[in-house]
Amino acid sequence: MQIDSWRFPAWLWYALIGIFLWGLWGFLSKIGADTANPLQMQILFTLGMLPVAGGMLLHTRTKLDRDVGGITYGLLCGVVTGAGTLGYYAALRHQSASVVTPVTGLFPVLTVILAFVLLRERLNKVQMAGMLLALASVVILSI
Amino acid sequence: MAYAGITVVMWGLNGLFMKLGTNRASARSMVIWVTVGFLLLLPFLWAETRLAGLETRVIFVGLFAGAVNGLGNWAVFACLEKGAKASVAIPLTALYPLCTIALATVFLHERPSARQWLGIGLALAGGAMLSYETAPAAAPEEQIHCGR
Repeated sequence: MQIDSWRFPAWLWYALIGIFLWGLWGFLSKIGADTANPLQMQILFTLGMLPVAGGMLLHTRTKLDRDVGGITYGLLCGVVTGAGTLGYYAALRHQSASVVTPVTGLFPVLTVILAFVLLRERLNKVQMAGMLLALASVVILSI
Repeated sequence: MAYAGITVVMWGLNGLFMKLGTNRASARSMVIWVTVGFLLLLPFLWAETRLAGLETRVIFVGLFAGAVNGLGNWAVFACLEKGAKASVAIPLTALYPLCTIALATVFLHERPSARQWLGIGLALAGGAMLSYETAPAAAPEEQIHCGR
């Protein structure tokens, strides 16, 4: 294994911002879910995303990427995330959250496998061990 | 468990699509197209439920949560755009419940259980190890093509 000094990659800042924002989203969802049902929350989330998308549209103006592949993957991201969320709530109607949530928390495993096979991504040994710890923590935290 | 399996497949595919998308479009553009994707599902949601009867406070919280979620999407797209591997960025950002627990501890005065403390410890160790890089993040075939 190659041992170099650890460096703070630029992408990591964005990952930390993403963790904070999604964490805040989880916190707000927890508050809202006290009285709203999951489908109502999903509608509100979608409507709440519109100003952000509008802001991005204003910022990009004529530079909005119209690559067919980019548009397709973007639309697919929205559809599969929303469909996955609906599947999650449907699963909760048949099983307890203590079973469904840890199982669905394993979704990064599929992403890693797909990235390994289709994108030929390779993790170093430290990252591989980190991924296993992260997955274990996702399951434990979701119980 | 079929529905849970469908969810794993959908969310797992999303991680792949996010990376493939940022190889072809900027993070900002991706946020716009993802939002359109969410809008496509809206008619199905409206067919099942309505917002009538919800308290104004809850509606505001839900809308704000959606905006925060949209910004979170942008951050993760930007992370991938900057060269993070999907196999690193997706498991790493899946640790966001860590932040939710921290916020709930501070603002809702919830106390993590012993099991949650174990999860927090594993998450911190796993997150640090996932971000350990000794080589450029993007393989040659994964270079960004966002036309900027």
